[in-house]
Amino acid sequence: MQDRLLPYWLLIPAFVIVLATTIYPLAYSFITSFRAWDLTKSRRPGDFVGIDNYVYAASESAFLNSLWVTFVFVITSVVLTVILAMALALLLRRKGPMHTFTRIILILPFAMSPALIGVSYRFMFNPEFGVLAKGIGAVFPALQGVPWLADPQLAMGILVLTDVWHWTPYMTFMCLGGLASIPRETEEAARIDGASNLRIVFGIILPQMRGVILVMAVLKTIFALKMFDQVVTLTGGGPGTSTETLAYFIFNVGFRWFDMGYASALAWILTAIMMFISIWYVRMLLSERKMATA
Amino acid sequence: MAEVRLVDIEKKYGNFLAVPKQSLTIHDGEFLVLLGPSGCGKTTTMRMIAGLEDITSGDILIKGERINDKPPKDRDIAMVFQNYGLYPHMTVRQNIEYPLKLRGVSRADRKTRVQETADKVELGALLERRPSELSGGQRQRVALARAIVRTPSIFLMDEPLSNLDAKLRVTMRAELKHLHHELGVTTVYVTHDQMEAMTLANRVAVMREGKIVQLDTPKKIYAEPADLFVAGFIGSPSMNLIDGEVSGGVFRADGVEIPVTLEDRKGVVLGIRPEELAITQDASAAISGKLYALELTGESTLVTLRNGTTSACARGHADFEADIDSPCHLSPKDGARIHLFDRASGERLG
Repeated sequence: MQDRLLPYWLLIPAFVIVLATTIYPLAYSFITSFRAWDLTKSRRPGDFVGIDNYVYAASESAFLNSLWVTFVFVITSVVLTVILAMALALLLRRKGPMHTFTRIILILPFAMSPALIGVSYRFMFNPEFGVLAKGIGAVFPALQGVPWLADPQLAMGILVLTDVWHWTPYMTFMCLGGLASIPRETEEAARIDGASNLRIVFGIILPQMRGVILVMAVLKTIFALKMFDQVVTLTGGGPGTSTETLAYFIFNVGFRWFDMGYASALAWILTAIMMFISIWYVRMLLSERKMATA
Repeated sequence: MAEVRLVDIEKKYGNFLAVPKQSLTIHDGEFLVLLGPSGCGKTTTMRMIAGLEDITSGDILIKGERINDKPPKDRDIAMVFQNYGLYPHMTVRQNIEYPLKLRGVSRADRKTRVQETADKVELGALLERRPSELSGGQRQRVALARAIVRTPSIFLMDEPLSNLDAKLRVTMRAELKHLHHELGVTTVYVTHDQMEAMTLANRVAVMREGKIVQLDTPKKIYAEPADLFVAGFIGSPSMNLIDGEVSGGVFRADGVEIPVTLEDRKGVVLGIRPEELAITQDASAAISGKLYALELTGESTLVTLRNGTTSACARGHADFEADIDSPCHLSPKDGARIHLFDRASGERLG
């Protein structure tokens, strides 16, 4: 009898930790999302307001703006990262003299803290002393003195750039793993069949990378949806609210304006989006596997 | 005329010499098999013909034209790979159709030719399936169909049957042979399976350490192996190779005394095929020893005797029975071919 219960006793510490750090906050925030709670007035959640917080979100322009900003950021960042990672992987898969060195160098951007990347790029794009701002100005005189982070479009561009720079190496390694699993014979058969290099990439290699690209795109989407650190240290959501992503907006609502009920509702909207993508991803992956093993 | 000529071709990977300088002519319509153990350079040689591997020096000529610098697609070849090399994301139809599509063949023409080819290799009913939905044999047929659909000048086949089970391999072997007879296309076939080589080839090039050690018809190679390596490699069960010496016109080893025409010398290996040895009760037979093993193969029994360093196998009647460790005697049949080799160099002595 004792032996049968032992595994459950051993599981209790881990279960308690997960309960305390994940399940409880999630459940608490879910309940809070249906209540009014101004932290400046009360230390405890206020009255139940039903779905008012969610209804308000649907009509609030600041939230809708952050949703749009996040959408633009996610699409550009994911597309660029995946394309760049795939291109780099195709270049790096053949062994050459700089092979190992390049791979080591490649991992460095991913090893850096996102907050630090934001600070670095903020300095590098400073119109007065930023090395990148100066460099671009030297190459393209028309761009001299451009206030990069003061322009809404350019600021968004730079935010995307930092994220692409940060994530491309990791995604490149994922692509390299995927490429290594493609049988060499398929490419050679295509070469003999008469395919050009471009056709081999688009007609033979990429279709076989579908599964890997799908995983990459979904992972990157989820991470991009949570974009926060670089926004804080690079643009502060500005100029105006042009780079205010959903995660950053939720942070502001909760910890600047202390509207915890509304912030919880927004956090659950973000969670719902991510859950929706995750479920879609799992379904796609399962159908992919089914096709491969049929 | 699709003759393939390899003229002084050589392949090096850095300092490693994979294929030393050598020449080979594959005649128009011929089925030539490159045979040898793993790592002997046979696949490298084929990949050089295909253009998938650069040659370090020498020339490759197809139909008399030097094609060293031509990409694979311009060599008018088709290749069947060991792992099939099928496009997993395409259906059987799309796989077979792909080379035609790339060469700009019209849609209507493609449809007809794909159907004809698929019927030829009995794939007509499977055209809408994906490779993952096919058995090994069916996949190999798709690979074959993709190769023959555009009737190239040369077929290159890199161990195409090695991933199939033994029974299917025999069936596919016959199909390949029939296909070659039907199409008459020059074929270069790589294998390490001597049985495949013997059954399929017009000529076999036996390779060792990158070099072709014998190039001849299967019959000739079986009957007159050029050296000790070929003698041991060709034949199943392989040729009996007995270490000994020649003195007074007799080859002597433990339990062996066989008259031969060779001057006295040491370090001689005598070779005789199992089917050319008869089991006898005569105690003064050429080879004597104790029965070591009996292996029934169905149509015959393989009888192995041992005596000191001597080990010899004979193919006996399926009903042959005897006790292990009982005295056993073998003697060469009338007209049996006795092969003599130099132990050190492996060269044929007679």
